[in-house]
Amino acid sequence: MEVAGNSAAGLADMTRRRYGVRRPRRETLAGIGFHVPMIVVLLAITVFPLIYSLKLSFESYSLVQTGMNGQGVGLANYSRLIHDPEFWNAMKLTLIFVFVGVSVELCLGLVIALLLQSIEGGRRIFVTLLMIPAVMTPLVIGLMYNFVFNAQFGLFTYIIQRLHLPLPQGLLGSKTWAFPTLIFTDIWEWTPFMALILLAGLQALPEEPFEAAQIDGATGWRTLRYVTLPMLKPILVVAVLFRAVDALKEFDKVYILTNGGPGSATDVIDLFTYRMSFVNWDMSYGSAVGMVLFCITLALAFVFVKVTTRTSTG
Amino acid sequence: MTMTSYVSLRRTRRRNHALTYAALAVLSIVILSPYFWLLETSFKTRVDAFAIPPKIFFHPTLSNYIVAFVDKGFLHNLCNSAIIAAGATAVALAVGVPSAYAFSRFRLRGGGLLLFWLLASRMMPAIVLVLPMFIVFARLGLVDSYPGVIIAHVTFDLPFVVWMMKGFFDAIPGELSDAALMDGCSYFAAFRRVALPLTAGGLAATSIFCLINSWNDFLYALVLTGRNTATLPVGVAGLLTPWGTYWGQIAAVGTVTTLPVLIFAFAVQKYLVRGLTGGAISGS
Repeated sequence: MEVAGNSAAGLADMTRRRYGVRRPRRETLAGIGFHVPMIVVLLAITVFPLIYSLKLSFESYSLVQTGMNGQGVGLANYSRLIHDPEFWNAMKLTLIFVFVGVSVELCLGLVIALLLQSIEGGRRIFVTLLMIPAVMTPLVIGLMYNFVFNAQFGLFTYIIQRLHLPLPQGLLGSKTWAFPTLIFTDIWEWTPFMALILLAGLQALPEEPFEAAQIDGATGWRTLRYVTLPMLKPILVVAVLFRAVDALKEFDKVYILTNGGPGSATDVIDLFTYRMSFVNWDMSYGSAVGMVLFCITLALAFVFVKVTTRTSTG
Repeated sequence: MTMTSYVSLRRTRRRNHALTYAALAVLSIVILSPYFWLLETSFKTRVDAFAIPPKIFFHPTLSNYIVAFVDKGFLHNLCNSAIIAAGATAVALAVGVPSAYAFSRFRLRGGGLLLFWLLASRMMPAIVLVLPMFIVFARLGLVDSYPGVIIAHVTFDLPFVVWMMKGFFDAIPGELSDAALMDGCSYFAAFRRVALPLTAGGLAATSIFCLINSWNDFLYALVLTGRNTATLPVGVAGLLTPWGTYWGQIAAVGTVTTLPVLIFAFAVQKYLVRGLTGGAISGS
């Protein structure tokens, strides 16, 4: 297991320096040639829309609403955003969603990975079963849980009734329980995959430290705490970052399960932005929120790169 | 170590093993039961689907599939999903693979920044890009057209292709293409005839992940497709209405939506960790 860096290009460079081969100008030109189509496409489909969105965020624009024809409004959309309790509610919910979801996924995933690591036969079967939720169409997962939590005939509703659990029948219609239920579906979807990442990490660890710990008479728990976890840390960090970025843009399951409700109890930020832009048709306000999300993404991508390059060279 | 303690140690170990297997088996059941229930419901009549307690044994019927795919036109959505996924994958590969090769083979000023931008594009929430795209496409008449949503899907497939394929190109020794160049190959021929065949497996895996990503997308398709181009996820979401919900048909379409994905995923199981983290973590 390795965390991606740009080691091969570095190696090629080193070889060249050692054998005194000068990098010909032709090679640089060829390199650019290979990149040109990609750069052009990337400019057209990511940079241009973002600049356009930035421009919109300083205007009052809607494709549908009258009186919003793109007149400049300065920073009005951003100041509205700062004072919008719905925006802050969405931000808060998203943070809770990411924090609680990813923490539980990490802990459970680690336990499952350790269990899988400890067995000898049949690991492949379990691994194959565990990958199913991660590749399933997220929207279908949402629909599936609509079945499971359905107030009349849902499987889970039936279990609640049989076990006389102190839970309401329609979990998704309850102000208190809708959001935890959504987090539960995310945990269901991503814990197995977290386990697979960590299993891959565990299998790549060297044997010697474990043998040394065993000789020193370390108990299983102490081995885990002082040998396994420290060695696994780079992969843990990358896995958590990766999942957090993904959970931040949760949309599909929430859209189909609760659509932000009841009230605004499950109104995560992507759903909020979608509603502003395509239900209220206030596209300039949607753009302003989008710009905030864009900045958050850039910051996270920066952290991601810092972390991965450090682990690949160190 | 005396014989008795050795035996008892082995016994505890065996017991622990049994417990581990039991735990993993329970876990698998918990994880898979909602999905099984979806599969089951797709073969149930309306009466069986609403039965309480839930029926495990029932008389299976194909009527949900027939009604959904023949009468309600979900076959059309299925085709749309396939066309869009194939289109986006083809474009992303055509544009992204040469660039991935160049990232791996040549040093380029600003290359780091470009890779960073690709990563950021991949991490970007769809809602950020789909809003300006919708306005531009509305003006160009690209809403509810294949090219529109294909372009949108390239925004996540292209960065994915570059990061994944860069990893595969990094793994082949640079001397091979150098030798090809010595023999008088052009740079493009060295890429086409030496590097590309050596990464055929990686290329296949990358294409499959692109297809899955595109097939699974909901938000871009929700905004940019319409009556003529709606994909399976968009179509099936429309069955969930306040005026009555066709659970059997939803289950049937849901089953058909997930089936190709699962089959493809089994094919690339080896690369799963790498593929689902966009090449960030390369599993063993």
